[in-house]
Amino acid sequence: MKFQIEEVTVYFPYDNIYPEQYTYMVELKRALDAKGHCLLEMPTGTGKTIALLSLITSYALAKTESPIKLIYCTRTVHEMEKTLAELKFLHNYQVKHLGAAAKMLAIGLSSRKNLCVNPKVSSAENRDSVDAACRKLTASWVRSMAAENPNQPTCEFYENYDRAAGGAVLPAGVYTLEDLRAFGKEKGWCPYFLARHMVQFANVVVYSYQYLLDPKVAGIISKEMQKESVVVFDEAHNIDNVCIEALSVSVRRQTLEGAIRNISRIENEIDRFKDIDAGRLRAEYNRLVEGLALRGDLSASDAWLANPALPDDILRQAVPGNIRRAEHFLHVLRRLVQYLKVKLDTDKVEKESPVSFVASINSDAGIDQKALKFCYDRLHSLLMTLEITDTDEFLHIQTICDFATLVGTYARGFSIIIEPFDERMPLIPDPVLQVSSLSLSLSLSLSLSLSLSPLCMLCLCCHDASLAIKPVFDRFQSVVITSGTLSPIDLYPRLLNFHPVVSRSFKMSLTRDCICPMVLTRGSDQLPVSTKFDMRSDPGVVRNYGKLLVEMVSIVPDGIVCFFVSYSYMDGIINSWNESGILKDIMQHKLVFIETQDVVETTLALDNYRRACDCGRGAVFFSVARGKVAEGIDFDRHYGRLVIMFGVPFQYTESKILRARLEYLRDTFQIKEGDFLTFDALIDVMNIELTDRNLNQRQAAQCVGRVIRSKADYGMMIFADKRYSRHDKRSKLPGWILSHLRDANLNLSTDMALHIAREFLRKMAQPYEKTGSTTGRKTLLSQEDVEKLGNNGAQEMLY
Amino acid sequence: MNNSEKKRMNGEAEEENEEDVEDEGRDAWERTYTDERSWEALEEDESGLLQPIDNKAIYHSQYRRRLQSLSATSAASRIQKGLIRFLCVVVDLSKAAGEMDFKPSRMAVIAKHVEAFIREFFDQNPLSQIGLVIIKDGVAQSLTELGGSPEAHIKALMVKLGCAGDSSLQNALELVHDTLHKIPSYGHREVLILYSALSTCDPGDIMETIQKCKKAKLRCSVIGLSAEMFVCKHLCQETGGSYMVALDEGHFKELLLEHAPPPPALAEFAIANLIKMGFPQRAAEGSIAICSCHREAKVGEGYICPRCKARVCELPTECRFCGLTLVSSPHLARSYHHLFPIEPFTEVSARQLELSRVASKTCFSCRESLLTPGTNKAGPCAACTKCKQYFCLDCDIYIHESLHNCPGCESRRITPAAASATMS
Repeated sequence: MKFQIEEVTVYFPYDNIYPEQYTYMVELKRALDAKGHCLLEMPTGTGKTIALLSLITSYALAKTESPIKLIYCTRTVHEMEKTLAELKFLHNYQVKHLGAAAKMLAIGLSSRKNLCVNPKVSSAENRDSVDAACRKLTASWVRSMAAENPNQPTCEFYENYDRAAGGAVLPAGVYTLEDLRAFGKEKGWCPYFLARHMVQFANVVVYSYQYLLDPKVAGIISKEMQKESVVVFDEAHNIDNVCIEALSVSVRRQTLEGAIRNISRIENEIDRFKDIDAGRLRAEYNRLVEGLALRGDLSASDAWLANPALPDDILRQAVPGNIRRAEHFLHVLRRLVQYLKVKLDTDKVEKESPVSFVASINSDAGIDQKALKFCYDRLHSLLMTLEITDTDEFLHIQTICDFATLVGTYARGFSIIIEPFDERMPLIPDPVLQVSSLSLSLSLSLSLSLSLSPLCMLCLCCHDASLAIKPVFDRFQSVVITSGTLSPIDLYPRLLNFHPVVSRSFKMSLTRDCICPMVLTRGSDQLPVSTKFDMRSDPGVVRNYGKLLVEMVSIVPDGIVCFFVSYSYMDGIINSWNESGILKDIMQHKLVFIETQDVVETTLALDNYRRACDCGRGAVFFSVARGKVAEGIDFDRHYGRLVIMFGVPFQYTESKILRARLEYLRDTFQIKEGDFLTFDALIDVMNIELTDRNLNQRQAAQCVGRVIRSKADYGMMIFADKRYSRHDKRSKLPGWILSHLRDANLNLSTDMALHIAREFLRKMAQPYEKTGSTTGRKTLLSQEDVEKLGNNGAQEMLY
Repeated sequence: MNNSEKKRMNGEAEEENEEDVEDEGRDAWERTYTDERSWEALEEDESGLLQPIDNKAIYHSQYRRRLQSLSATSAASRIQKGLIRFLCVVVDLSKAAGEMDFKPSRMAVIAKHVEAFIREFFDQNPLSQIGLVIIKDGVAQSLTELGGSPEAHIKALMVKLGCAGDSSLQNALELVHDTLHKIPSYGHREVLILYSALSTCDPGDIMETIQKCKKAKLRCSVIGLSAEMFVCKHLCQETGGSYMVALDEGHFKELLLEHAPPPPALAEFAIANLIKMGFPQRAAEGSIAICSCHREAKVGEGYICPRCKARVCELPTECRFCGLTLVSSPHLARSYHHLFPIEPFTEVSARQLELSRVASKTCFSCRESLLTPGTNKAGPCAACTKCKQYFCLDCDIYIHESLHNCPGCESRRITPAAASATMS
């Protein structure tokens, strides 16, 4: 359908539109008009992506005098593919209506791993080794060597691409990664370099967050994007974490050992070069005197991850004298690694600010701040000079230099934390568990050999999410941050330190109440349930949780997903359920699958879980709210008719990293610790809920053929903890869930929840009508409806 | 549309919503009484005696709504219907059937309504046959073979009532498939599963079995008693059946009875073909013959197969010896109406009736007065769209549900021409 929003004609590829999509577009258009940033929350499954794409491309078509470019950032490759597919559909529609005028170039950009068509390279197992394999074939010195020596292997795809030079362009159209690979194969051009080249000319670019947020990558890929761009961060509820991770570095013992190995290898290389080609090292020295701003001249295939720090002036300065000579630089690195090693040899937790850390490095290892600051680029330059191509071998030393540069550059917003760390429990600290696992690991290591001391980790943590995203806000005209859950919506501008011109949350209009959230506070014996630390091991609570699940498996069909607050808690509770026979009762109705920290195991478990749901046997999946393994898996439709959240998944508040971040937030942004914790915990719950419930039904009808099966999706959520009934916790939930949370469902006991569940399931199983025209609630607008709205001014509808 | 109008419309919509909310917001105990508020159906008359309110009009309007929706789906286009049906009713008697959310238990409710259903089924489909299968302890067993006697099925079910163990959909489908796949091609193979359980414990891959059923053209329908299960939904989608979940006992009954009228014929069966049938004679009173169904000598009360002269006890059936389909002519006649249903009558308002030229103001079929007794005012009635005769509400229902012939049209058809045709 085609309709007007103010002066812009919007081409929308479906026959019907949801009211919230329409208002979303109106708001978005205002933000574009104002050339400002905006923050929009709309529930997952309401067709956010298509609304965004449709409005922005239509806007670009309408404003031909000042062409805008769309940069669309997604979290995963899968989402990228989905977005591109959607865009393709939209593009076809626009071309049908407008003809050649609607032509545009849209490409997805991903790593070499996803784009490479050279069979020798793409067979490597991980990203870094693919990158290195590619570099081995395409680095400029390798190619110049190949020019003399025909036996030197090169990549024919890259050679062809390079030969075509300016002629290598993509014709207009929408290219998914698959399309790019197919095009590359057909023409014999390297799709990766072609895509990277075309990014500058494309109207729409879809790529991962890192390409904009991680300064190391953004420096090369996104440098040439024009200011008149609209940047969209989709599914951006975790954007602050992405920003922080981009600037955080953690160093472990293995890293240091690896770094020492790297240093000795570089030393050998230097010696070898001194013998054959001493001039090269001298040339490098001269270049360093002039400054580092030479990277622009490097050919595309040589480009490396850029400096992790952001200041522009760093490139103009000359590299300090004490690290100009390769040997001297290696000495500095050696001293640094040695210093870090000493630091790591501790069994107590330490926290330091960058300033004092730098000072102590200076006094203990004799490395000043300026030298630290240049470490990364100096290393880069050195590796280049030494013509080292297997860069994946040198990750360790890179990490160290990365660390040094960040420490040297930023005095605020960071802290250095040294923490004893148990490798088998990465980042899932739990007090109970830590005690047990430590004793376990001790006994284990004792039995193995007595030499292993507890491992330590040194972590440079960024606390300020706004550091990484600041250049993005500064550089681009409009930045759109959107997700299904951005509640509370006023916290994001503070965390990211920007001023949105529009910040709104949209509700979903539903033809029926297809989600049924419940807060369960008491067991069937009326005793409160909670995972609060003092209550969680209480046998009464464990029993009540068990009873709840046993009852639920007998009345809920197909799949149930249970989330626990941590792995250790899950292990504990499953153990005691097993002893008391509760697990056996559950197994009578459904099969039980458990998420573990092993990816392969969990994938297998998930696969079988789905099969059990499909064939009608029914299954329960035990998962962990912050577990990374099952993250991003859809438990939609019958794969998750019921989600039970046992407890509130707060972050481990004793974690030093979290403590430091909270302190920083409090001091700098005046965000209360409690606020942030609740926010964080609930965001996390909600993400799970959302990916599970992925309320696809709302895409319904407008694309009847595509999702007709999932439009009838429905599901229940049980929040089983007495703390959820407190207003301050609950109010952090997104509005569209709150609006379904009736007061009557707020303070339930097990038997009441059962009753509600039974009725809800019966009601939802009835055949239902998709447009909602008879129920009086209009949830789908046709062309005429939208025109009417346009004439009346959308104001009425909005407010 | 101007603003005020729009607001008004919004207002209306809101009101509707509120009503909805009110309805949903009732407590569970209230809801059980909404259907039968027996105290509200009473009213005091002049002499202080309690008198039931006349609910006829309400019932009638409900009935009309149902009729209209039915005719909208079926009569809109003349659809070929499968009149000769072979239906396997699968009753899940696993331990989930013992649950008490239906009173007194799911099992008892199922039994009660299956009985009613079987009678209704044979009433509407005299040429069809039913077989009963139960699932218990994870296995399916055939309770009765395909047959045309309602009593035999009902008796067998009542004897076997009792629940235990798990449920297995696959076993049931395999059994039903074995029973149904050998019946002749003109018969419609149908399966109706009354499923209480929420899971199925299968020995193999149920998806293969579903595909097998699809290939054998079994139309599988499921009525669930607790919640929607994916595998049931999948089964029904694949095989072209319907999947419903009962809200309460009344709804369950309704869903079950929806399966009584013949469904539209599958496309594969839509080609017309001839079927050889025998119309057996009733055995003479007092004649003694060995019955082919019971294998013992019986006196009188039977039918003789016209081809092989074997004795059978009841119709319709298939001759045990020569395999001829045996029916009686009333059976055929009774099945006929499904193909040519009478159109629903139009409602006539009191004012129209008063203005009408019909002097007598009586129902055309039962000759009762259409005027409400006492007041002498015209009561509600209906008129046939073809013959324009007036009928009272009772007759309206009777004509559509039992008679399947409009007396007005039938009596008008005996015109002189038609009469002479029949004479010759």
